[in-house]
Amino acid sequence: MNNSPYHRLPPGPPGFSRREFLWRSGGGLGGLALTGLLHSQGLLAGEPDAGQIPANDPSRAFVYPPKARRVVQLFMAGAASHIDLFDHKPALKQRDGQPWDPGETVELFQDGHGATLASPWEFRPYGQSGKWLSEIVAPLGAVVDELAFVHNLVGKTGVHSQATLLQATGFNTPGFPGMGAWVSYGLGSMNENLPTFVVLPDRRGFPSNGAKNWDAAFLPAQHQGTLVRVGAPNPIEALHPPDTGFITGAGEADGLSIMREINREHAAQRPGDERLEARIRSYELAARMQLAAPEALDLSGESPKTLERYGIDPTTRQWPKEINAAEEMDRFGRKCLTARRLLERGVRFVQIWSGCDNGFPRRNWDSHEDIERDHGPLALGFSKGAAALILDLKERGLLEDTIVLWTTEFGRMPCAQSGRGRDHNPFCFTNWLCGGGIRPGVTHGPSDEWGYKPADRANPTQVYDIHATMLRLLGFDHTRLTFRHNGIDRRLTDVHGKVIEPLLA
Amino acid sequence: MLGLLFAQVPSSLGAEDDLSPPRPASETVDFERDIRPIFERACIDCHGPEKQKSGYRLDSRNAALNGGDVSAPNIRPGDSAGSPLIRFVAGLDTDLRMPARGEALSTEEVNRLRAWIDQGAVWPESASPPTPDPLDWWSLKPLARPACPPVSEAGWVRNPIDAFVLARLEEHGLSPAPEADRRTLIRRLSFDLLGLPPAPAEVEDFVNDPAPDAYARLVDRLLASPRHGERWARHWLDVVHYGDTHGYDKDQPRPNAWPYRDYVIRALDEDKPYGRFVREQLAGDVLYPGTEDGIVALGFIAAGPWDLIGHAEVPETKVDGQIARMLDRDDMVANTLTTFCSTTVHCARCHNHKFDPIQQVDYYRLQAVFAALDRADKSYDPDPALAQQRAALDRRLHRIKARKQDLDAVLTAAGGPELNALDQAIAAARDRAKTGQRAEFGWHSAIESAPDTVKWVQVDLGEPVAIAAVEYVGCHDDFNGIGDGFGFPPRFKIELSDDPEFHDDVRLLADRTEADAPNPGVKPQRIEAAGGRGRFVRITATRLAPRQNDFIFALAEVRVFDQEGRNVALKATVTASDSIEAPPRWSRINLVDGYAYGAGESDASKETGAELERRRSEWVAANVPAELLASLETVRREQQETEAAIAALPPPRKVYAGTVHSGSGSFRGTGAEGGRPRPIHVLARGDVRQPRDEVRPGTLPFIPGTPDEFGLPNPHPEGARRAALARWVTDPRNPLTWRSIVNRVWQHHFGRGLVDSPNDFGRMGQAPSHPELLDWLASEFVARGGSLKDLHRLIVTSATYRQASVVSLDALEQGRRIDVDNRLLWRMNRRKLEAEAVRDAMLAVAGKLDLTMGGPGFQDFVVEKPEHSPHYQYHLADPNDPSLHRRSIYRFLVRSQPQPFMAALDCADPSMSVDRRNQTLTALQALALRNDRLVIALAAAFAERLTAESTDAGSRIERAFRLALGRPATPDEREALTGYARQHGLPNACRVLFNLNEFTFVD
Repeated sequence: MNNSPYHRLPPGPPGFSRREFLWRSGGGLGGLALTGLLHSQGLLAGEPDAGQIPANDPSRAFVYPPKARRVVQLFMAGAASHIDLFDHKPALKQRDGQPWDPGETVELFQDGHGATLASPWEFRPYGQSGKWLSEIVAPLGAVVDELAFVHNLVGKTGVHSQATLLQATGFNTPGFPGMGAWVSYGLGSMNENLPTFVVLPDRRGFPSNGAKNWDAAFLPAQHQGTLVRVGAPNPIEALHPPDTGFITGAGEADGLSIMREINREHAAQRPGDERLEARIRSYELAARMQLAAPEALDLSGESPKTLERYGIDPTTRQWPKEINAAEEMDRFGRKCLTARRLLERGVRFVQIWSGCDNGFPRRNWDSHEDIERDHGPLALGFSKGAAALILDLKERGLLEDTIVLWTTEFGRMPCAQSGRGRDHNPFCFTNWLCGGGIRPGVTHGPSDEWGYKPADRANPTQVYDIHATMLRLLGFDHTRLTFRHNGIDRRLTDVHGKVIEPLLA
Repeated sequence: MLGLLFAQVPSSLGAEDDLSPPRPASETVDFERDIRPIFERACIDCHGPEKQKSGYRLDSRNAALNGGDVSAPNIRPGDSAGSPLIRFVAGLDTDLRMPARGEALSTEEVNRLRAWIDQGAVWPESASPPTPDPLDWWSLKPLARPACPPVSEAGWVRNPIDAFVLARLEEHGLSPAPEADRRTLIRRLSFDLLGLPPAPAEVEDFVNDPAPDAYARLVDRLLASPRHGERWARHWLDVVHYGDTHGYDKDQPRPNAWPYRDYVIRALDEDKPYGRFVREQLAGDVLYPGTEDGIVALGFIAAGPWDLIGHAEVPETKVDGQIARMLDRDDMVANTLTTFCSTTVHCARCHNHKFDPIQQVDYYRLQAVFAALDRADKSYDPDPALAQQRAALDRRLHRIKARKQDLDAVLTAAGGPELNALDQAIAAARDRAKTGQRAEFGWHSAIESAPDTVKWVQVDLGEPVAIAAVEYVGCHDDFNGIGDGFGFPPRFKIELSDDPEFHDDVRLLADRTEADAPNPGVKPQRIEAAGGRGRFVRITATRLAPRQNDFIFALAEVRVFDQEGRNVALKATVTASDSIEAPPRWSRINLVDGYAYGAGESDASKETGAELERRRSEWVAANVPAELLASLETVRREQQETEAAIAALPPPRKVYAGTVHSGSGSFRGTGAEGGRPRPIHVLARGDVRQPRDEVRPGTLPFIPGTPDEFGLPNPHPEGARRAALARWVTDPRNPLTWRSIVNRVWQHHFGRGLVDSPNDFGRMGQAPSHPELLDWLASEFVARGGSLKDLHRLIVTSATYRQASVVSLDALEQGRRIDVDNRLLWRMNRRKLEAEAVRDAMLAVAGKLDLTMGGPGFQDFVVEKPEHSPHYQYHLADPNDPSLHRRSIYRFLVRSQPQPFMAALDCADPSMSVDRRNQTLTALQALALRNDRLVIALAAAFAERLTAESTDAGSRIERAFRLALGRPATPDEREALTGYARQHGLPNACRVLFNLNEFTFVD
């Protein structure tokens, strides 16, 4: 039986049916383990109120042989330009500086409708697949044959907050669980001593909506993303007590032991309330996590070769104030390497952010003024670490059951804004995926000659389709992975989503 | 593999090349025999009772013949070739082929369908399933007061609640638990009613009080405590998803949200009748004019998150702007129906509700109720006398202005074309002066924390030019009340060079670096250059301009004139030491865009407004009759006096509320149109690009005999819509409102509601465990005038509530066998304290709780980078700062960055309606309770308190147990903790107490 601290809890307290308590408080044991437990105890079938809670039973949805067990999501905050990274458009170069007229009225977010703007970077083909990539994501050339590109993603609006939420949670208003929370809810934990869903934020801050992007919302709190601030003095909130002078290792051990005794006596006088025992155990698991987490986050044992591969600068150095590629590589590389260590140790879902909120000077991908200035360092930064992560996972045999998903808020326009920038393009952008049952080396759903809209406007790809595909590879029917909240059986894919069959290996 | 394409090829019909549908069959078609099986095999999964894709279904005659979002009617009797259904299933429409999934229809089946349609699409009424009565659902049935059921153990019954509960227990062969002991009862009551532990003396008084009414007096005392409103307001704010920031992108603070939070506390403490409480929150301004509560209660409408960028940066003319506003109204509608009526109405935004009798049109009628509103600060005067005075002055000013208008009309008529021409010139001059603030303010440097950073900006003229003069203009920005001359540096110099780096061959044109120069505001300043040649003109600030607590350099415009007087800097390339680049306002290119604030006034070819005004006065004095002049003068003086009187009033207060907003830029609101509601249409699939019929304001068809539309006269003020909705919600016949609130109250006393889905009484929710009790409570509540305190008293004085949570092993075994959920209440539920109660209890026990009520929330974080997206840094707050030791209800609630300690303890998420808290027990929660900095600080404070109040180690531990747990320590506990405190210090022993199960659970 799996006794994760996040997926806790033995059968329930008085006052709630055992099954209901488990689901309401988060299932505890991880959906599948729990379902097994319930089945073994005949609880799913035999109880008088059977049928009242099945909406919150993820095992109902677990119907396909799973191809993947873990997910890494790379999220570019601020909206990364598909046509400067992955979606090669020779027309932009041919007609650089000429008026850009797609033959219809274009509604832009900031009215930045300048002339056609060529990418400042050269593209060239890579790998067996001959996929064209921009020079600022050249490191990905080494793994390009692992990747599956989707170039016809469409969003709902060009508003950062809504678009970030949509890609992160499947809804464009706050109050819905992040996709990592859904995966945690569906699959539970593989290592009770570490969180199931870990978020590695940008060092500069949070993206639009902050924690709403990795919140558990109505799902029980243990499914919420746990923030790990890579490189910070206290990477996990409250993992250790602050330095106060009166807390010592010996005092902690003795204190926990006294607590346990008093709690045991208290519980013994109150038979039949399993929450009391569960809470005692949560303190034991917390103590185990205090040992397990620092070990997982410690990069000092990694070889110089590994550090170099991830673009990590092993020396401690002062970085310039301006955004620069070396620092982006180092910071993002550390997160990617940390992700690999976490995945190896059983973390289900790691979300890595590049860029934070919208401000000046730019600290994310929202390049209204100057694509070259922001996209250059950010792209080199993330692509170095991402390529290293994919290679590393592959070498360790983890890529075959780990999905890597690259996404962003929306794309950017083929025309110029403020001379050298690009305005928002919610009508077309790119995602790529690899590993975990994704068909390698393919490109699906082309965009039009400008990268302005999908080539086939009637059949675009939406975030729901990406999420449905991901859930399918994890073994779920996305229409059945539900949680009833305020009278609605909520899904990651809302009422939409089609599995993109051609992306399945 | 590049460009792998996956066109979906439908299974062939054999008619792929033929653009006409297959021929119809010739024999007579029978619906039941020939047609229904086709629908059931191929269509019903997506177009039936479960799903209605595109709003279309093929399981009932009416819907099949008339329904559908896209191409209705899809079946045209007698015309199979013209029926879209045939085009779809025959594969003739390349965009839409049906069925979308699964096997296509055979040619024979298509032929059969054609024949059926051509023969008139006969669909016998008997073939459609009977429509169930939509109101045949427990929560929609009229409220009736049931009689108390008979019970055999009548002696146990303290009030009717017990009779209803006991009757069900006896039905199932169960008996209630014995009454809990007094120590347990006072702790339970204190946390339930106040959210705080009882003081040791209060415990001992109650335990030793022999009077028969000791319990009743305790309940009365607790209900009268101001702590009660603070406790129960938190439950309410969970449901209405109140927060102190907007959420979404940038998550800016909402400094005036708190008056609504204080209103809720006040209303609960004053025991405001529930009906009035509801009406005030929807339409207090209309229904209770002239009251403070009638205004601040409107904070309810604005309680939820707000998409600042979707409103402030995107106008309603754009699709994204419409979506943002539609979603904003959606939140208002959902908040209203969820909170007051426990109904999930928002499903109907995209389609008719699948489970409850709510049509899309009903939903949009509700959106129409809020169609005039936005979320914004609303001004009000808390003092009714002051409010009246302000209103009287406003009316007076209005009258004066009307009279002035009349007199001006007379004057215009008398003045003829000459005066008219002057007036037009004045208006034009005023416009010229006012058109300043266009969006492009100028160039703005990065922000510095000290004034003595050197910053420069320079213009590249493209080639060396012989320069006559350089002109520069300061900016205008109302930020921090600065206005003209915003960002203008007190010390600076202007140089000319051919070297872009300004190392070589630099010619100084102006030097103001020795002493602070006066700020020229927005008046253009000209520096003569006497024909000096150079390609680059650089302005360098050697001392920056103060802004708030920081320093900047900003300029609106730089002009460089050549010998012919041409501005050669226009559209030149601008570089700078740095630039915040926040277009459209702040951008390097704005420096040479030919526009600066107040530019019109500097146009030398036009007379200034002042000159024109002087000419007009001269003309009037010479040509207008004295009597009219005197009247004009009187009106002018009266206007001035009235405006001065208004200005002399204390400034109005503000509450963030649902209100008619008068704004500018993209976020204009409806104020400029006098608050006329935006037109609301039914939106196909909830898509703003697919508007259907316009709707009038109305509500759900849940009260038989009341119309779904309010039937308001045209025109009507927008508030009439909200007032109508408020009346509907609080109509005694509304089946939902009264059941909803008594269930919420019940839930917080027993840990679960009689209906265990408090926000949803629909078909997806739970059925009530005691339907008669629920109805009796609701009826009793209405009969008692909606007094929440009476309801609390009724519940907590019942024998049901007073049961022990611990029962004998036999009773436990029997209870769990028959009713494992304890739905029937054969004992009391043990409850886990919420985040707020845990934090407040620690503060109280440590002797640090600050009971100051009301006002702006305390901020247990430090804000960094406030200018764009504030970073709320909790770890920078000082846990020993006494201003952070107020009750948790007064915490400033940030939506994007939840407080880590409170979030670990499952506090409510202000981005969604929380009807019941999650209750998790995770390792991260254990870590938070052990290691959070506030917990550590309070453990130390608790230890100090014990040291001050008791003299020896043993009695300190004894006192600690009484404070923290309301009971004496057992000898074992005392010994263990005394020893531990001796070895590791009393603060660590206090930390152990804070972390005990007993601290967090209430029996």
